[in-house]
Amino acid sequence: MDLKIRKSAETYIIDVNGEMDLYNSYRLKELVMKMLEKKVEQFIINMENVDYIDSSGIGALIYICSTIKKMNLKLAICNIHGSVKKVIELTKLMGYFPIAGTVDEAIQKIAAE
Amino acid sequence: MSQEQIKEILVNENHPLFDKTGMFNKEFPSDFRQIRYFTLLIVQKAPPEIKEINLLEQQISEIIKNAVKHGNRNNPDKKIRIWYSFSTTHAHLIVQDEGEGFQGIEEWNSFNRKRLQLFQDQNFDELGNFVSFRTQKSDEHDGGNAMFAAVEYWNDGVVYNAKRNAVAVGKTFPQRRVSVDIGK
Repeated sequence: MDLKIRKSAETYIIDVNGEMDLYNSYRLKELVMKMLEKKVEQFIINMENVDYIDSSGIGALIYICSTIKKMNLKLAICNIHGSVKKVIELTKLMGYFPIAGTVDEAIQKIAAE
Repeated sequence: MSQEQIKEILVNENHPLFDKTGMFNKEFPSDFRQIRYFTLLIVQKAPPEIKEINLLEQQISEIIKNAVKHGNRNNPDKKIRIWYSFSTTHAHLIVQDEGEGFQGIEEWNSFNRKRLQLFQDQNFDELGNFVSFRTQKSDEHDGGNAMFAAVEYWNDGVVYNAKRNAVAVGKTFPQRRVSVDIGK
């Protein structure tokens, strides 16, 4: 899994590339925690290039989402597709996660909050 | 609650899912680093029709991970044993470890019932407290959500033996009809 950060106005977009599994999902968690320390307040996690996620990956997203919610900051997760979407649906987290369709929609969602 | 059946983890070693007749079997050491590799060795026997890209692999990997990590506590001297059978309409897996057994099944079922009730009520604020099932032995890498998906995915059941160190899971897939337009 490879993580890249880009910026759109005040929003930081994390592009996740590869598989989010039991061996690497903690890295996304660590990255977001570091960004929180640096006072980043608006996050988008772009899952466009993620085709595999397991319970550790879901766990990392839950941790990130609950931390950001508690801090009253902003998060959107976008471009969920394929088996990643299926796993989130099976876990019944579609309503819990702040999900947007595309990166642009995620930016709009955050701006509208 | 709607009439949709609440899915639970069962404990019943006489359950038909524990019938190993005709199943392949393999044994692996409890090597955490190789969980996904072991999973691929099992799932390669499955026909593409039921793999759903990698959903079957992912679901099997969770069961193997539970056995290696929570069952055998990553002890390389302890083995996991896997029985498996696949067809275009079914997947059936039994995974046994040498651990103490999953003693928190009743607690898990109760937690999951509450979780599903909150989901039903669309109470997403409170649902936030029920997204991860944790025990004293959970660590920061445990998502605590694998079995929530498992009881939904394995539609023939998720069943433990009496000692609770073996789990049998099964799924029936709809038969795909191939329509052929023969033209006129």
